[in-house]
Amino acid sequence: MIIEFFNYALNGALLGLLYSLVAMGFVVIYRASKVFNMAVGEMLVVGAFLVWWAVQSRGMHPALGIGVALAISVLIGLAIERLLFRRLIGESVFSMIMVTIGLLILMRGLVLLIWGPQERQFPAIIPLAPLIVGELIVPRSLAAGGIIAVVCAAGLHWFFNRSRAGLAMSAVAEDHQIALAMGISVRRSIAFAWALGGVLSVITSMVYLSGKSLTFLSFEIGFAALPVALLAGLESIGGLLLAGIIVGVVQGLTAAYIDPLIGGNAAAVVPYIFMLVVLIVRPTGMFGWKRIERV
Amino acid sequence: MDPSGIFSTSYASDSALVRTRAQWLALALFGAALLLYPWLASPRLVAVANLMLVTSIVVVGLQITTGYAGQINLGQAAFMGVGAYGASVVEVKFGLPFWIAVPAGGVLAALAGWAFGLTAARIKGFYLALTTIAAQFLFVFVVLNLPSSWLGGVNGFSLQPARLGPLVFDTDRALYYLFLFSTAVMVFGAFGILRSRHGRAFVAVRDDDVAAGMMGIDVPGTKARAFVLGAFYAGIGGALWAYQIRFVSVDQFTLFNSIWFIAMMIVGGLGSIVGALIGTVLIRIVQESITTLGPDLIEFIPTLSSDIVFASMNVFLGLVITGFLLLEPKGLMHRWNIFKATYRLWPFPH
Repeated sequence: MIIEFFNYALNGALLGLLYSLVAMGFVVIYRASKVFNMAVGEMLVVGAFLVWWAVQSRGMHPALGIGVALAISVLIGLAIERLLFRRLIGESVFSMIMVTIGLLILMRGLVLLIWGPQERQFPAIIPLAPLIVGELIVPRSLAAGGIIAVVCAAGLHWFFNRSRAGLAMSAVAEDHQIALAMGISVRRSIAFAWALGGVLSVITSMVYLSGKSLTFLSFEIGFAALPVALLAGLESIGGLLLAGIIVGVVQGLTAAYIDPLIGGNAAAVVPYIFMLVVLIVRPTGMFGWKRIERV
Repeated sequence: MDPSGIFSTSYASDSALVRTRAQWLALALFGAALLLYPWLASPRLVAVANLMLVTSIVVVGLQITTGYAGQINLGQAAFMGVGAYGASVVEVKFGLPFWIAVPAGGVLAALAGWAFGLTAARIKGFYLALTTIAAQFLFVFVVLNLPSSWLGGVNGFSLQPARLGPLVFDTDRALYYLFLFSTAVMVFGAFGILRSRHGRAFVAVRDDDVAAGMMGIDVPGTKARAFVLGAFYAGIGGALWAYQIRFVSVDQFTLFNSIWFIAMMIVGGLGSIVGALIGTVLIRIVQESITTLGPDLIEFIPTLSSDIVFASMNVFLGLVITGFLLLEPKGLMHRWNIFKATYRLWPFPH
């Protein structure tokens, strides 16, 4: 009984870390450009299809294939900045959100046109056999994902809070106009944000889909990761790990203990209820910045 | 701006919606054309027009919430769904006639809108957008997980045709007149609200809510009213939709639909009722064309077969939203107004 509980909790926590890795896609782009990227899930699908195309369809060596996929997704990120967001510097929140939603839908259409709706077998980059520690059973891809999430979070946290370039980007996230006045290149910061987002989406897609089947519907994990990003607060990278673990454990335990009782899929909606409560009680999340408004 | 030589001499004439004789004439001709339309067009086109009318009510509601009051709403389809389900329950479970069921659907949707309007009082910008996305997910979850004897669950709901005394609205032509009447009432209502003090409060809150509060406007109340009104319009639209399709299920009211509504509003122009109508008609025409042309497109990309329609809809919608926001963020109405002003001022530049 108790071991089962730990098993559910541990798996939930690791799934939560995967969510926080996905949510890093939101936060990284936000921290460097003040754009809330709703298309994170779709970028992940594009990254996944690039890896699949290079490794499975072209038959490249995995290391080379991943390198190619990373390079292409960086180029896509730069193209997004050049075509869309360079023109939107200083525009309203509504325009920014709607452009990323338009991007989401456009990318979904293009993925369908290029690769079609079929299910694809994603290469097993991380071995499939589960890890067994004592009586705890953990899928290896989730364990690896947890480690990658922690490493990425530590690296990005250092970059954005300690390094000179990262702090300049944080200034862009505060206010485009002021950043420009301080001599910070908003364009370069946004370009960097989207390139980094592209890299993260390839990494995340390998953790999430390794050995599973890939279709254009895999983008839904982007929406699943939204509550994590909000609970942490949109500006905090380290907080994502904690938020991910909280959401993951709650979801895992709901799936294990509450779903059989009500005979429904409450686990899928619990994160959103969580998100609503966070939004109403404390919109800035646990570690987000407080903004002071002036007329 | 009025044509030269037209001056308002009273408050009533200054706030009039139709200002010149030529405008009265144009309105009368347009009304006559709308009344004659079902006798001139093919049955398929009448059905398309019905969907346009219903959708335009929903988009006008969205225009009030987002275009005028500036509250981002990504859950308009969910509010429409609440209206559709509300009307169906009132009709099927309680056996009430449609002229009660439709307003009841609107009121239920307005209640849901009120709940989200309260959150809008606390948060703004994209946090609000995310809350309304959550509304979208919650709506689907609630409908699918309540006992299926309540809301039909996955199977949805079927309705009887609408009846009014001896009249039965079971053909597209009959429904067309019903919808035309409802749309006219709702659009006129929207114009009325927006030139009242509530409408001015909406615009003030949209332009700067901190400043609006300092001017003595009740900002939380205004935001809540904007949501209530927008959701009421969505609910009425949803209830009428239920009588058109005569079948209600959750997959008619997805986030994707909400985004279509926003695209219609962006194309027409934010902050313009006529823009909402124009955007709805244009986007619906393209949607219908893609659906009709779908089978021909398959020949070009055979690997996609039936998914071609869905894929090209996505590409089109994505391009419309990003393209308009980047190149013509104020929408087609803005272009039209520039043209009108230039025409009236000619040959002077200003």
